[in-house]
Amino acid sequence: MSYFLQLVVSGVVVGSIYALSALGFVLIYKSSRVLNIAHGQIIATGAFITYALTVFAGIPIVLAFLLSMVITFCLAMSVERIFLRRLIGEPIISVIMVTIGLMSIIDGLIYLTPFGSENFSFPEFLPKTPIAFWGVSMSWTQMVGVVITFTMIGGFTWFFKKSTVGISMRAVSDDQFASMSVGISVPKVFGLAWATAGLTAAAAGGIIGNITGLNFDVLHSFGIIVFPVVIVGGLDSILGAIVAGIIMGLIQQFASGYLDGKWGLFGTADVLPYIILLIILLFKPHGLFGIHEIERV
Amino acid sequence: MKNKQVTVMRIALSFLLVAGFAVQAVAGETYKMGLSLAITGPTSDVGSPYAKGAEDYVKYVNDEKLLGDDKLVCFIRDDGYKTEITKRNFEDFLDEEIVFYLNYSTGSTMALRQDFQEEQIPVLPASFHAGNLEGNDYIFLPIASYSSQAVGLAEYVAANHKGSGKPKVALFLHPSAFGRAPRDDVKKSVAAGLGIDLVEIVEHGKDLDNTAMLKRFQSKGVQYVISQTVQPPVATMLKGAQSLDMIAKTYGEAGKITFLGCHYGGGPALVSLAGSAADENYYWTTSYKMMTAKGPGRDAQFALAKRYGRDDKLAKDANYTNGIMVAQVAVETIRRAKAKGKKITRAVLYEELLAMNGFNAYNTLTTVGPVTFSKTDREGVDTLQLYVSKGGLFYEVGAPFESEYVKKIKQ
Amino acid sequence: MSENRWMATGNFFTSYKAEQRIFMTHIDRLVFICFLVALFAWPLFFKLGNKYMLVIDSILIAIVAVYGLNLLTGFAGLISIGHAAFVGVGAYTLASFATVLGTNHVLITHWWPLMILVSGVVGAVIGGIVGLPALRLKHLYLVIATLSFQMIFQWTINFMTFFNQGQTISIGRVFWFTGKVARKQHYLFWYYVILVIVVVLGLAVRNLLRSKHGRCLVAVRDNDRAADAMGMNPGITKVYAFALAGFFAGVAGALHAYLWRGVGFESFTLHHSISYLAMAIVGGLGTLVGSFFGPVAILMLELQVEHFAEFVGHYFTAIGDVATAFRPLSFGLVIVLFLMFEPRGIANWWRITRSYFKLWPFRY
Repeated sequence: MSYFLQLVVSGVVVGSIYALSALGFVLIYKSSRVLNIAHGQIIATGAFITYALTVFAGIPIVLAFLLSMVITFCLAMSVERIFLRRLIGEPIISVIMVTIGLMSIIDGLIYLTPFGSENFSFPEFLPKTPIAFWGVSMSWTQMVGVVITFTMIGGFTWFFKKSTVGISMRAVSDDQFASMSVGISVPKVFGLAWATAGLTAAAAGGIIGNITGLNFDVLHSFGIIVFPVVIVGGLDSILGAIVAGIIMGLIQQFASGYLDGKWGLFGTADVLPYIILLIILLFKPHGLFGIHEIERV
Repeated sequence: MKNKQVTVMRIALSFLLVAGFAVQAVAGETYKMGLSLAITGPTSDVGSPYAKGAEDYVKYVNDEKLLGDDKLVCFIRDDGYKTEITKRNFEDFLDEEIVFYLNYSTGSTMALRQDFQEEQIPVLPASFHAGNLEGNDYIFLPIASYSSQAVGLAEYVAANHKGSGKPKVALFLHPSAFGRAPRDDVKKSVAAGLGIDLVEIVEHGKDLDNTAMLKRFQSKGVQYVISQTVQPPVATMLKGAQSLDMIAKTYGEAGKITFLGCHYGGGPALVSLAGSAADENYYWTTSYKMMTAKGPGRDAQFALAKRYGRDDKLAKDANYTNGIMVAQVAVETIRRAKAKGKKITRAVLYEELLAMNGFNAYNTLTTVGPVTFSKTDREGVDTLQLYVSKGGLFYEVGAPFESEYVKKIKQ
Repeated sequence: MSENRWMATGNFFTSYKAEQRIFMTHIDRLVFICFLVALFAWPLFFKLGNKYMLVIDSILIAIVAVYGLNLLTGFAGLISIGHAAFVGVGAYTLASFATVLGTNHVLITHWWPLMILVSGVVGAVIGGIVGLPALRLKHLYLVIATLSFQMIFQWTINFMTFFNQGQTISIGRVFWFTGKVARKQHYLFWYYVILVIVVVLGLAVRNLLRSKHGRCLVAVRDNDRAADAMGMNPGITKVYAFALAGFFAGVAGALHAYLWRGVGFESFTLHHSISYLAMAIVGGLGTLVGSFFGPVAILMLELQVEHFAEFVGHYFTAIGDVATAFRPLSFGLVIVLFLMFEPRGIANWWRITRSYFKLWPFRY
């Protein structure tokens, strides 16, 4: 029983980190209909900036974490301004390919720094002893990660429900022309969407970096892992991202907990999300929470 | 009219094809060798120091005129861990008429071994997979194979287990040819009477969390985990184990897990990745001398790193040593052939490598034992050294050893 | 069409049939034939090193693969980021034969044209199966479905002992009428084989696009509901597009296996899928000539960047990392700059230069 409980707890922990990673993805898609393949690279950038601020510049880690969110906020906004603003109205494939191109560019830029091929780990600022209850344990890092995730998700939910900017972002995602006609600056909203996505990515990067250590190869692969999460949840639903994130976390834990080692299977946690993704898509082509758009000729 | 276009295009194309090769000035003889490895992409954390080690040593050889007036050129090229590019680089090196080739990953070594055989060129890969030696005669492993390393660790576990009964061991493998390399040999050794209970063999994925696996290990009573993989997954596993309070404080502590790793699954770079989870009581084996092992080897390596402006972290990296060592072997082979007054060709170097045994064994200073090659033994350094981490540094445990069971199962 | 089929300025057609001609003027045809002759003849006069032959061969293989991707993504508008997996299906079809029958079985070494065809057919079947979700899915959801296929393919290859768990499965040397193709002739031999395949398949694609089986792809891309109203079945058409793409990819995969004399899963990863997509885009989506320009441009760029990086690394040794970072950086920049400033790809430059000569001496 405690084995099961442990899997559930770990699944929720991992899942909420997926949710946070996916959040930035959804934010961009929701407002500008762009599938951002370079998201993993932005996550890695956020993590590296946090590390650079903490270790190279000597800023306390909490402050560095916040500061890196601000920096990534600005960076992501300028990425949108420089690369994606011109592509408004271009076909989807162009936009996807631009983000693929961006992925390579960021890769190249990161290889220019020591982070490209060296390993680092954050200085430890949390107690090393794990939190244990009912035979289940989790580390302080994971605990803090979950708390940050839910705070941020709560914050964004509020932001979209109540604040003017948030509502204008929702309006743009619903109908760009209609929102333009009521005086919303669509390009500004796009910029803001990217910026907030950058912010969440930096947060995710900081947390993942604390859990796995800083290795570029590991960090940027998160850009790919979030795909099944966002698709299962529905590309344009924040709630979907959270639910799907946690579902994926649980599936992965159960897969490696109960499937691995049986019938010679291994690494099922890597492939199962995609299989489930395909199955769900066959029955619900717009994900669990995605909006089904009615198309006309 | 359009003919013109076509001509222009063809001129442009042929220009693209031909352009690009810088001509090297020749002074005395010039020997060429090639190294293709992953400086970017997966495993770049290993490839990057490796490349620098080889590069620095070759520079050193030329600067100090270790080969007399002759010059050694080592082409170092990034393949981003992609076999096609490795092959392209190799073909390019062949066009450049290299006499010695240094390869990198297990995958590309296996993919290119037919070519090595056909070209009859001696090859030293960074992969220590014993399977590399099968079906060809030209691949030499610089140090003891992954099989020797994993079985050696298992032997250590069997010999030093304190509790009752056989120690329960799990293998944690990379999901690739590289990770699976020692799997069958460990199984065979157990069948041949090695005193461990091999509970589980796990091939990991890209997990963010290994809780499920670790809990399963614990419930099955696993006390030792031997890793044959790269550093990031080991770091994640160790951090997970730390959060579950599973890491043994002392060797073989009951109810906890002692972690052990082969060459690429440990070392100083692991500590910089896993932090406090790896800086105490992580057991690691390799044939390389470590920076805490005082001696001429360490001093020479530090001096080399300093001379070419490398930072401290790189100077201590085990894979920097790794890169230096393969270059050392190549240079030594050339030097010996030259001393005998032979013209340096692939065949001569191959003969020279095969003769590197007995009194001719090569003592590199960077490894714990001499490099010995012969027709039947193409594993270089046969001995291994066990290290344990204390306060973030790796210290030697006991004397260098050789795996007994690997010899037994070979017969 | 003007009476003089040698010299034609501008477009003038008197029948639909005339508009559908492959070669508008005799000069077009003549130039094309000259170009082909040149392609076949140059190895007799120049001797290139193995490296460059390997690069040229792999460009040609990429062209075959990009034919398929361009049909799927450019003409049918279905974005696929799993194309390398289709190529892998072809390669592993051949590898399966090698595993079951043995590396040097007669079927593999003597009947290789048949094996290439078989790989293409298997690729088409798998392509059709993977295309099934296209019946229900659209746009980005479909993109992700192809990504899933890529991931599932990689995992399957990597974990099944039948496929040697992703380790290289070697393929024997083939025979020609003159006997075994040895290492020395290997690249030249395959250059000719692949060149013939590229030409034949290129003509096939060109003809396909003139027929209703090709134009239905474009119709479905432009508006699948309108296509539906006009009596086409968009679902079937999409699956058919996937099958077509799978066929070309399968052929490319088999060629890849023969050229590299082995199959390992590292050649068919997500990264390669992205590269194929980049080739299709840089070449020009939805154009046949784009399928030639894209692979040439991307692979040549990679090579030149490598040389440049080496050149830089030669002079600034302390910044070795800088040199290696050029490759991803330039790859990304080329894609992004093309999309920002020339979204129609190199094919558009080709179109502009062509129309310049075509309209000459007039400006427009």
